[in-house]
Amino acid sequence: MTIVLGAALLVAAVWTDVQERTRARHEEAALAAAGAHLASLRHDVAVTRFATAVTTGKRNALQASIAVTLSQLASTNEVLAATNVHAFLQGASIDTLQTCLGGVQNALGQISAHDTTQAAKDISSVSGPCSALDGGTSAGLVYPFDFPDPDVILVGQTYFAYATNSVAGNIQIIESTDLTHWTAVGNALPSLPTWAQAQYTWAPAVAFIGGTFVLYYAANVAGSGRECISVATASQPQGPFVDRSTAPLECQPALGGSIDPASFIDANGNLYLLWKSGGPGTSKIWSEQLSPGGTAFAAGATPTTLLVPTQEWEAGTVEAPDMVTVAGRYFLFFSGNDWETADYGVGVATCSGPLGPCNDSSPTPILSSGRGVAGPGGESVFADTTGAYWIAFHAWVPGAVGFPNSRDLYLRRLTVSGPTPVVAATG
Amino acid sequence: MLEPERRPVMGQKPRPRPSRRGRWVVGILAGALFAAALGSLIDDQVQAHDRFDQARTSLGVTRHETGAVSAQLTELRRNFELVTTQAGSDSTALSQDVSQLKGAQAALAADEAHVSAQSTQITSLHACLGGVERALNALSVGKQSRAITALNSVSSSCSAAASSSG
Repeated sequence: MTIVLGAALLVAAVWTDVQERTRARHEEAALAAAGAHLASLRHDVAVTRFATAVTTGKRNALQASIAVTLSQLASTNEVLAATNVHAFLQGASIDTLQTCLGGVQNALGQISAHDTTQAAKDISSVSGPCSALDGGTSAGLVYPFDFPDPDVILVGQTYFAYATNSVAGNIQIIESTDLTHWTAVGNALPSLPTWAQAQYTWAPAVAFIGGTFVLYYAANVAGSGRECISVATASQPQGPFVDRSTAPLECQPALGGSIDPASFIDANGNLYLLWKSGGPGTSKIWSEQLSPGGTAFAAGATPTTLLVPTQEWEAGTVEAPDMVTVAGRYFLFFSGNDWETADYGVGVATCSGPLGPCNDSSPTPILSSGRGVAGPGGESVFADTTGAYWIAFHAWVPGAVGFPNSRDLYLRRLTVSGPTPVVAATG
Repeated sequence: MLEPERRPVMGQKPRPRPSRRGRWVVGILAGALFAAALGSLIDDQVQAHDRFDQARTSLGVTRHETGAVSAQLTELRRNFELVTTQAGSDSTALSQDVSQLKGAQAALAADEAHVSAQSTQITSLHACLGGVERALNALSVGKQSRAITALNSVSSSCSAAASSSG
């Protein structure tokens, strides 16, 4: 009996032991599998991390490239836009240039065909495009063709400007109602007196005296070439002015000739003629009273010197006088230096009256070369319909200084309320 | 009834019976052997149980770690997919941007060439205009030779301007 029980106990123990071992083995196998799985997962984690790092690097590089590309694109687009604007403006500029050139070429053809009236019309018809090419009105340019020594008068609501001989003839004349747009009228002085030499007439000045328009102008004497001043009259500002003189009004041959006439009417209605004599180093500005009709000097009158060069910038030359009286003060405007250079400019002196004396105390010109303007001069001062003062002058276009380049017409506002007149910096 | 007498059968030699002491020795030895076997089995069971416990504990830890690592892997894979998607879209965007840039650069080059040609034409036109104006001014005061000189000086510019304008 004991043996049986023992055997049974032993068998049970063996059976239990086998089961325990089996469970342990299963558990260990599961553990091994789980460990392998964990190792596999960790490997995947490492691989994924590496792949993510690589891809992130690529993405960052791509984003950096995108940023660079976008920056380049923005920059390129900016340049492209600017270039397109430039191209557009240049296209307009080419059209403008061609239009201007066409008008000038037409005028050239008319001059060759001896039709100066048509030449003047051809010129003024392209005034706008040509003005734009020469810098527009910012510098005061209003007539972009040769229009030297301008003189502007106001008749009613219309402004008339006269100038030295050029395309339109002996004395050019243009008109405007707004001081901005000017149209060629033609030749104010179709015929010259027999003593005068053709194509040497310049520096006109027109005054309305006793119901007549009186034109003073400089002319060369045929044969001698002496520079003198003459006078012509017309019943209307457009002309035609007629000079019936048999001899010049003033010459001063001993002083080198007389040119650049300008008329002045004082508060009492007395008339005066101002002009310039001589050349560089000997130039003087003169004044002499005129007769009531303005076509001759007053009886007993004698020339009086108003001004001689005293300032360094004048380089020995004062010319192109024009006198204005404002509130009892007399201002004598004049040009100084060499007319064919960019050093030419406009000065002003103060005078006690039409016959002086005058004091030129300005060490610098009140108008000189600047943006869009070279060698301004040949000025005249006038009041507009509102009473505001303007200064008309000619100037070379910078880069094209000296004859036969054009001296174009400019207008700028003039302030005369202070002790010294001030020319506006722009048109 | 009478018990038969126990007598050796005639012709048989009676077997010797172990002694009482011998039987005890055998019994003790058998018991010891049994006890040893049982002890051995129990010890083996205990060891197996311990192994089982250790394996189970390790398995638990491993399964826990596996879960964490698996979650981490899932997150990493999600991130990877996201980054991959971003890189793909960035690559596409870059291609488009590069394409746009090339287009803009080509347009710019064309425009610059156009502007350059226009500048040349403008320069020629300006020179031509200047010469014609000078000729006009000279001719208007009777200086024919000077007018001719002015025109001759810009003839090449005028020709260039005319040819470039088509």
